[in-house]
Amino acid sequence: MNDKLIDAHGLSKSYSGTPALRGLDLAVPRGSICGFLGRNGAGKTTTLKLLLGMLRPDAGEIRLFGEAVDAEASSIAARRRIGFVSEDKELYPFMSVGQTIRFTRAFFPGWRRDLEEKYLELFQLPLGKAVRKLSKGMRTQLMLLLAMARGAELLMMDEPTSGLDPAMTEDILRALADLAASGGTTIFFSSHQLAEVEQICDRVCIIDEGQAVIDGELDELKSQYRRILLTFDGEPPNALAGLAGIDHLRQRGRTASLLAHGNVDAMVDRVRELKPSSIEVRSVSLKELFLDHVRGE
Amino acid sequence: MNLRINFSSGVPIYLQLIEQIKHAVETGAIRSGEQLPTIRSVAEELTMNPNTVARAYRELERESIVEVRHGSGVFVAGPQSSTTKTAEIRKAGEVLRTAMEKGMALDLSKSELRRVFEDELSRLQEKAAATRRRT
Amino acid sequence: MLWLKAWLEVRWRFVFLVGSILVVWLAPLWINATGVQPGVAASRQWMGLQLGSVLLYIFTAIYLAGSGINSQTMYAATTGFHGSMFFTLSLPVSRRRLLFVRTGLGALLTCILVVIMAGYILFLRPEATSAMQALVYMTRVIVCTMAVYALSVLLACVLDEMWQFMVACFFWIFVFMLQSKIEVVSRVSSLRGMSLNCYPITAPMPWTPVVASLVLTGVLLWISVLVVQRKEY
Repeated sequence: MNDKLIDAHGLSKSYSGTPALRGLDLAVPRGSICGFLGRNGAGKTTTLKLLLGMLRPDAGEIRLFGEAVDAEASSIAARRRIGFVSEDKELYPFMSVGQTIRFTRAFFPGWRRDLEEKYLELFQLPLGKAVRKLSKGMRTQLMLLLAMARGAELLMMDEPTSGLDPAMTEDILRALADLAASGGTTIFFSSHQLAEVEQICDRVCIIDEGQAVIDGELDELKSQYRRILLTFDGEPPNALAGLAGIDHLRQRGRTASLLAHGNVDAMVDRVRELKPSSIEVRSVSLKELFLDHVRGE
Repeated sequence: MNLRINFSSGVPIYLQLIEQIKHAVETGAIRSGEQLPTIRSVAEELTMNPNTVARAYRELERESIVEVRHGSGVFVAGPQSSTTKTAEIRKAGEVLRTAMEKGMALDLSKSELRRVFEDELSRLQEKAAATRRRT
Repeated sequence: MLWLKAWLEVRWRFVFLVGSILVVWLAPLWINATGVQPGVAASRQWMGLQLGSVLLYIFTAIYLAGSGINSQTMYAATTGFHGSMFFTLSLPVSRRRLLFVRTGLGALLTCILVVIMAGYILFLRPEATSAMQALVYMTRVIVCTMAVYALSVLLACVLDEMWQFMVACFFWIFVFMLQSKIEVVSRVSSLRGMSLNCYPITAPMPWTPVVASLVLTGVLLWISVLVVQRKEY
């Protein structure tokens, strides 16, 4: 299906003169699980806040479920179909777990009682306990429950598994996979955990300094990108830097490491013309892709 | 079927799945006419993206290894001539043994050899997949 | 559910005020069990009561208007509310409605307390009060206190808890000082509209400060809505 649940073009936002987003494009198709990666301060939380209407963009347009959301009324209409988990996982400290659930439930006619009970059971959340007494991990779980049980078509989450132990993280990922498989829920989340993103996401968007530097299907990216490792008898020739299709070049002594994408065979042929003493072509992990695109070397 | 995916490998996950399912079919772990586990159950068991599972199944269908029976599920395709398959596998084994012996003669370690082999293999698979996509 | 949330946010303040009023207001009763007696000392006592009542009306309004829609993003160590605003804003509810519910409940509670305090003042009065006079007094106290409340609502939308309180207090102290110097101020002052020292119980409804307070309340609340709708969180 081609319809994009999130479709943003040219998003720009500055805070007192400092640009946080500089022309970000973002497209998340229905049914996908999209990981949003970037260094701290790259603009991930700003993007999420813009999508939800907590901030207004300086430039650019946002469409959720195909509708523009610049007016408050349309933003509210979109939010009826969205589940959100914030970065700080803060809820109302004066409410109990049960009260928080009942409070949130009142806003969503499509609330799924079965999911509510399932996750209450899974997370072992005590209904009577005040939220201020919960650990961060339990608050995260509660917030995830609230986001997933409301029957939303789209989940937007800011670092959903930060602070959770590996067992709980696996439970969350499984819950997300299940939501995607059974209900076709679209999931868009920011994360620092590359391993999780590789496991569960079919799309990846990497943001650096306010712009999208990578945006595509994860499997496609892994197919298209290759690392070419070269050793030369002497200094690597300068012509190396001028080769087309090379994203990044790193040289140390007699070795050079290239990140290439596209027609890698043709590139290897061209590299071979420079007479290296050895050539090795390797596939690239998400971690390498990420580091090479955000470290700006 | 015992499926295990290496999520951080450079090899696309759907290709790993395809390989493992093909292997299961060849070794008889799952026989022709048997139903493959549902997309949902694979996604849940491996804690992975259901779209990726769906893609692997689609590719397998395109290669006629499985067939989709609408409403019932995904089944391993009609009887493969098992004898020719085994012979083909044996032949391939001989070819590869020769190549590996040559590789060892180049003073490559087993892990280096394996890496080269896997890279070449996945490159071939993608070429095939890419050609199929274009047609 | 929004009303429940608002109540849970504001209930301890309300309880504190009820407790304080009981302590502060019952005290005169202990001193003078039969109410205020006529005479010089009594009139001083009566004026003191009036001043005290006005102070309490103002304090009640400022205190209950705080912890408004804004304070939940400030990293206020006292309230510990920081961050939950993002959850609230992600819900499908308009900011205007959020403000309306929170402000509405605070206003209701303020009026309840003000009516209790005003009723008590009337009870202490040395002379009898007619029903009409009581009604006039109640009305003007409520309307004038609402102006104080509305200002604090607006301040709470832009300032954090502590600053809202301080700025509001200083504003009304400033008005208090101005009203004895500048004619215009004294005529529209909400503070004077609340006080029986300025407009005794026997006087007719002081329309000028009452209408001015009403208008001020409307304007301040309308501006608060605009501020909250445009705010970036």
